[in-house]
Order: sequence, then C-alpha cells, then structure tokens
Amino acid sequence: MPMGHTATQQAGSSGLTATEHRLANGLRVVLSEDHLTPVAAVCLWYDVGSRHEVKGRTGLAHLFEHLMFQGSAQVEGNGHFELVQGAGGSLNGTTSFERTNYFETMPAHQLELALWLEADRMGSLLAALDDESMENQRDVVKNERRQRYDNVPYGTAFERLTAMVFPDGHPYHHTPIGSMADLDAASLEDARAFFRTYYAPGNAVLSVVGDIDPEQTLAWIEKYFGSIPAHDAKQPPRDGSLPDTVGKELREVVREEVPARALMAAYRLPHDGTRDADAADLALTVLGHGESSRLYNRLVRRDRSAVGVGFGMLRLAGAPSVGWLDVKASGGVEVADIESAVDEELARFATEGPTPEEMERAQAQLEREWLDRLATVSGRADELCRFAVLFGDPQLALTAVERVLDITPEEVQRVAKARLHPDNRGVLVYEPVTPAADETAQDRNDEETAQ
Amino acid sequence: MSDAVATAGPSMTFHPQPRAGEATPWAFPAPERGQLPNGLTVLSCHRPGQQIVAVEVNLLAPLDAEPEGLDGVATIMARALSEGTSTYTAEEFTAELERCGATLDAHADHPGVRLSLEVPASRLTKALALLADALRAPAFPESEIERLVRNRLDEIPHELANPARRAAMALSQHLFPADARISRPRQGTQETVEGIDAAAVRAFYTAHVRPATSTAVVVGDFTDVDLDAALADTLGAWTGAPAEPRPVPPITADDTGRVVIVDRPGAVQTQLLIGRIGADRHDRVWPAQVLGTYCLGGTLTSRLDRVLREEKGYTYGVRSFGQVLRSAPEGTGAAMLAISGSVDTASTGPALADLWTVLRTLAAEGLTDAERDAAVQNLVGVAPLKYETAAAVAGTLADQVEQYLPDDFQARLYERLAQTGTVEATAAAVSAFPVDRLVTVLVGDAAQIEEPVKALGIGEVTVVGG
Repeated sequence: MPMGHTATQQAGSSGLTATEHRLANGLRVVLSEDHLTPVAAVCLWYDVGSRHEVKGRTGLAHLFEHLMFQGSAQVEGNGHFELVQGAGGSLNGTTSFERTNYFETMPAHQLELALWLEADRMGSLLAALDDESMENQRDVVKNERRQRYDNVPYGTAFERLTAMVFPDGHPYHHTPIGSMADLDAASLEDARAFFRTYYAPGNAVLSVVGDIDPEQTLAWIEKYFGSIPAHDAKQPPRDGSLPDTVGKELREVVREEVPARALMAAYRLPHDGTRDADAADLALTVLGHGESSRLYNRLVRRDRSAVGVGFGMLRLAGAPSVGWLDVKASGGVEVADIESAVDEELARFATEGPTPEEMERAQAQLEREWLDRLATVSGRADELCRFAVLFGDPQLALTAVERVLDITPEEVQRVAKARLHPDNRGVLVYEPVTPAADETAQDRNDEETAQ
Repeated sequence: MSDAVATAGPSMTFHPQPRAGEATPWAFPAPERGQLPNGLTVLSCHRPGQQIVAVEVNLLAPLDAEPEGLDGVATIMARALSEGTSTYTAEEFTAELERCGATLDAHADHPGVRLSLEVPASRLTKALALLADALRAPAFPESEIERLVRNRLDEIPHELANPARRAAMALSQHLFPADARISRPRQGTQETVEGIDAAAVRAFYTAHVRPATSTAVVVGDFTDVDLDAALADTLGAWTGAPAEPRPVPPITADDTGRVVIVDRPGAVQTQLLIGRIGADRHDRVWPAQVLGTYCLGGTLTSRLDRVLREEKGYTYGVRSFGQVLRSAPEGTGAAMLAISGSVDTASTGPALADLWTVLRTLAAEGLTDAERDAAVQNLVGVAPLKYETAAAVAGTLADQVEQYLPDDFQARLYERLAQTGTVEATAAAVSAFPVDRLVTVLVGDAAQIEEPVKALGIGEVTVVGG
C-alpha cells in the first residue's frame, strides 16, 4: 500500500545510477551521469567531524575546514575561492558531528579544475599552512560563533540540549562550533597533526555527478589524486554507543533576555541507517512537521498557546539520532501548560499510532523533500558521499525514498512508544528576563574585567 | 636535514593547473506567455527532469494599497488564503495540500502578494485545484483571522530581537519619509496589526485580488502533464472584475550620511547595515551596478571581505548587494543598495574605518580589469548552476513580471554583463556607494561603540532604544 501513493514511478531516484571505484591509495570514488544541464558537482567527504575532537580542542575540525581554503602547494592564498568562482563555479565546506565535506558545482567544462584543486589540498595543504592564516581564521570562526550562536536569541539552545542527551565525555557531547576557550587554545601544530591524521585518501569519498564523461573523469581523478600517498594514522573514533533511552528526564531552565518563553526538548532516537530511524522520521513528521501536524493543530490552532512548533530529526549514524522539539510560547502562556499538552499528544500518539491519512501525508512530505535533495547535482553528490561514508554503500542514496515509503504505521507507533516519552529527553525551558538598568551596568563591568 | 626529509614523507606528483574544456552553450529558459479567458496571465516553462514543479502566483496587491492604519492586512490576507475555503476548513485544506506532498507559501511585499507552490509533477493538477480554491473562494473565517492576527502579534517580538531584522527595520524607518508605506515594517506593527479583522481582510481581498491583474508562472517537467487542461480546470475557473490601472508611487529617500545606533547593551557583536537607494533593473546602469557591487562585496574574495575578513578577521563575512524594492513600468522604481554583516563589538570602530577606506580607495583608484573579468566570469558562468531547479527559474520569471520587465530580461542580462567594461563597473559602484551619502545602522552595545563611531566622522550619530 505505501507504494501506491508514490509520486514517481522510480520513487525518487529518477532512474539514476552510480558507479563505484577505488584508487590504489584508498580513495573511494562514486560517479553518476546526468546530462540534462551542463553542470557537474564535485563532493568530497572526509570521515572526520567534531566527534573525533578531544577534550580541550573542541571546534578544531571546523576551524580546520576553514584552513582548507587558505591555499595549498600550488594554490596561493584564497585561490581555491578565486579559481572556482572565476570559472563560474560555486563552492563551500561544512563540518558536522560525523564528517567534513567540501563541494564545488562547476559548469561541466570546468570540472577538471575542481578535481585539481581538491587533489592539491588533499595532498599538500601543509606546504601553505602558516601562523598568519591560522590566526586570521581563528578570529573569523570566533565571529562565526558570535553571529550564529552568541548574538541571537536562543542561540545556544542546540549546544545545551546536545550536552544533555550526550553525557560528558561522549564524543557528541559538544557541537562542531566548539568553545571560545578551545578555539583560542588551538595551535598551528594541532592543525598540522589533524591534517596528518585525518586528511588521507583512504579516509575520504569523492563523488562527481552531472554532465560528465565517466571514463575521462576517472582518468583525471587517477591523474590528480592517484599519487597522493596513502597513510593510515587515524584512530577509530571514541565509542558513541549509548543506551536507547536517557532513562530519566533531564531539565535546564535558562533565564535570559529572549523575546518569549520557549519549550525545547531533545529525544534520543534510533541510529541513522536503520528502519527504525525512518519510522522515527515519519513519527516526528506526523507530530510536528507542517501545518497539519498534531502539535501544530493542538498548540497553534486549538490551544493558541504557541507562535510556532517544530519537531525535527537530526540523523546521526555513530550515536543515537536526536529528535528536536522547539515551541515558542504565545504571550502570557506558561511553559507548563504547553508541556502538558505536548506530553498528552505524544502519549496519545504512542497509544494510537498514526492514522492512514497521517501516514500518507507524512510519506508524501518526506518523499518531496528527497526529490528536492536529488533535484540538483550537488544534492545528489552529497547524498552519494553520505551513504558511502556512513553506511559503506552509495547506492543506498538512490533508494532512500523507497525505504521511507516502505515503513508501516505499526513501526511508527512502536518507535514513538519506545522513544517519545519524558524519560528519554533533555528539556530546556526559556524564561525571559528584562534587565534592570543597574544590572545591565553590572554585567558590562563583568565583561570588561574578563577582557 | 635527513630527519626533516624523513618526517616530511613521500610527496604527491604535481601537475599544472588544467585548462577549461569546451563550454556547452546554455541560455536562461524562454517561457511561453499566454492568457486564460478569465484574464489570468500564464507563463510556462518545460524543464526536463525537474520532477518538482514550481508555481509562482503574483497578485497585484501592493503594500501601499493597505488602508491607512492597517499595515499588515496584506500579510494576514496572504496567510489566510490557505486557512479555509468554500470547500475545506483550514485544517482540511492544509491536510489536502500536504497529502499531495506540496508546500504552499504566501507573503506580502511592496510590489504585491506572492504565492509559491511546489509539488511533484504527478500531483500538479490536484495541487493547482487547491491553489485555485484558495485564490477564488477563500472563506476568511473570523476565528481563523483572529488567530492569525494574534499569531502575528506574537511574532513581532522575535523579529525585533533578531539583530539583522532589527537593522533592516531601522534603516527603512530612517531612510524613507515617515508617511511612505515603504518606511514601515512590511508585516505591520503591534498597533496596526491589532486593528485587523476578517472584514478588513475580505475588503482588501475584494479590492485587490482578481485574475485579470494576476500572473501564474509554472515551471517543471511536463512530460506526463496536460498543462493547458490542468490550468483550465483550476485557475481558469477563477473569476473577477477587470483590471484597473494602479499607479506606482515614486520612492524617495534621504541618504544624508548619518549613523543610527540601535542600543543592545551587552551585545557581543554589532550588526551593520549601511544603505541608500539607487537604480533598479529598468535603468541602463543595472548590469554595471551588478558587476560593481559584486566586486565590492559579492563574495569572500571581493574587496570588503579581503580586508574585513581575510586580513583582519573582524567578521564572518560582509556583503554588498542591490535588492529591488519596487519597480514601475515607466522606470521610476528603486533598489535598496546596501552593505551588511556583523563584527565583534570591540572591532566596530576599526571595521567601519576600514570599510570606508575600501570605499574611498575604490572611488580614487577604480576597479582593475582582472576584478571585472573575474566578476563577469562568475556572474555569467554560474547561471546554469543557479537555474538548475524549477523553483529558481520560476522565482526569477515571477520577479520579472512583478518588476514589469520583459520575459527575456534575465537571458539578455548575461549578454549585457559580458559587454560591460571596467570603467562602467567602477562608475556604477562608486555612484551606488558614495562615502558621504550612506545611512549606517548599527545594532549593538552603544556604550562601547558610540564614541569610536563618532570619531570616524561618517555623519551625525543618534542612539535609539533596542
């Protein structure tokens, strides 16, 4: 029955295929042809993220990602940006708990340049890495942290909740942005050691997707990446396994200058790559994704106690995934009232499971999101790398939609019952404060002293 | 010595930088333009392989048409279109839409109201039927309107707390005359939103929403879709009064150089927004202005970030941009020309000093040919990447309609950019960002930044409450 309402005959893969290759130095390569538009995406995933960082050096993986754009043996200064943009391409890199990715989308006739650039920094970054770029990018990253976390309301909620559901010492206890103190402490030698340990051909997957000639592409990859020496200094990441549930409710109340009360919570969910993870995704979609979801109907439409509600899933492969609830309260509403309504809805859902209509809607929504991801060559390249790095098989990217559509209502109910209860969450409550004038002055003095 | 060699390890084989292959020609897609019997203009564009179809609907319901004192009624109306129709309740409508795997967004801006629908091609007809229902027979139930008004009121404190949103509001407030709608928040203020009710929403709808003044843009893979039939059965069934001309008021601004600090005690960063108004896409200078603005602050390797980010580390990134506010068929429209970003509090004075130095140097020495060439290569070269999805193509086509531009504007723009020289790009950038005619808004800790900013001499400094 689930397949009956799929939007496309191939359930999202559009008949796409991918081929896999491996160079002698261990670099894995995934190629996928699509000649509709004259563009090609290059994506390189390194199997290193913030979970590999050690105590006192949080944020190093991300800071290092910035250093990858500061030149390499044959590329001066900002050359990685200049050359790609000058060729009509776009590029960036991102760092998460589990991986670091670098990607270029190029007009098809400029593909070789992107491969040359990625190979140059994989093989020779240390030839260009110096104190000047280290000091500069340390300041840039600290400003990134201020802009995205410290200077926005509720900006540190993600860090606080992550720290609750992953206990102290767990590799996912801290988030990729890291702490200011650790960013200050990172040294050039730390960065060099990080490169030598993790930036090895055998620790990476390269995907190239789009208007490409696979044979020619593979020959270029062999030419530019093939001579990069293999090395195997990487230690396995610290064990990320945890009990399925937290076992009790953890709770933190934050009194801060925020515009409204808020209830946020993080639930431990099944590992990505399992049927249970797809079932959990559907459960969260029925409960809190979109304006026909149960929590939206209850809190925003009926109770009118919330400005908005979201229940999203952070999929993780090396540790339990996280279900992320975010409710901003309407004026004058107490968090306790919202919380009891949420708990009532979650308990009811665990007892009843989804209705057939809810299953249909949730699967249709997740299917469209997948179609969106696969609609661009860069989205496809990223997903191929993701499944290759995290699950050892890039082909799984092309069948992900089918797996979501194959989940039964019983599986959704089972995972909701097992995971979406108060004993399996960290709760973060925001209570706004309005600083009196004298308190503000006091705060400012404290900060000056600290500086 | 031998130790060093040993620790350095074996090295890779280096090859010279490769040269580009032969480019495959690409052109911005040309839409088919037509009109349904009810007067609705339709632009359609078949994009093979794009399974998610994008539909954009422009309604000529501009913010300056909102009645006095009811700022925000266009926003509430836009949101209320999907909160129940003659066929469905609010909850049913949303459920039906999500059953198609569709998303529908609606928002009101200065030129009009825009609805954006995205749906898999196989369910396009069903989703178009829902969209048509929302446009031709919205129920505007009193209880739903009241809920939307309360919800909107609850959103306002969140917007005011966001430094970037707060800066944008302050810039509009100070740049434009107080009696101009464009000086005030697009979605209304607490006072104006409180006065909105179902009758006001319905009156606004009746006065300004009709097929004859609306355009639908539909883009995607239509291989298995009979688009003409789908449109005739859905949006074709919408009826309404004929179009009436609606004059577009001219936009004026006071760009006397000055500084407004929105005080945020304890803020760890200062949000910068430095702006004025200038040419829109009707002006011949537009391609040169696009090039010049890109060279100034379009990317990480542009002049501003070269200094503020990559040399000094003051910021995660500062960008300059030109964003059309509203255009008129006779060419009297305007764009907001601005520089935005955030810098750590202690670096506010030095960062602004460097920013002004960058502008002065640009005016004194101009752009280099190399900068101009790199900008053209990027802006023209990224086109096939930028327009890979149906949504991107539909968005640009709908913008063109909203700005009274010909359907081939974007396609022609790439030719015009390639023909624009360094001298023209320099002149456009310098006249877009003259050092003495910029209004600077700083959202940050006044106690720490006011004195350093005063010392820069970039205009009178005023501090307002956060």
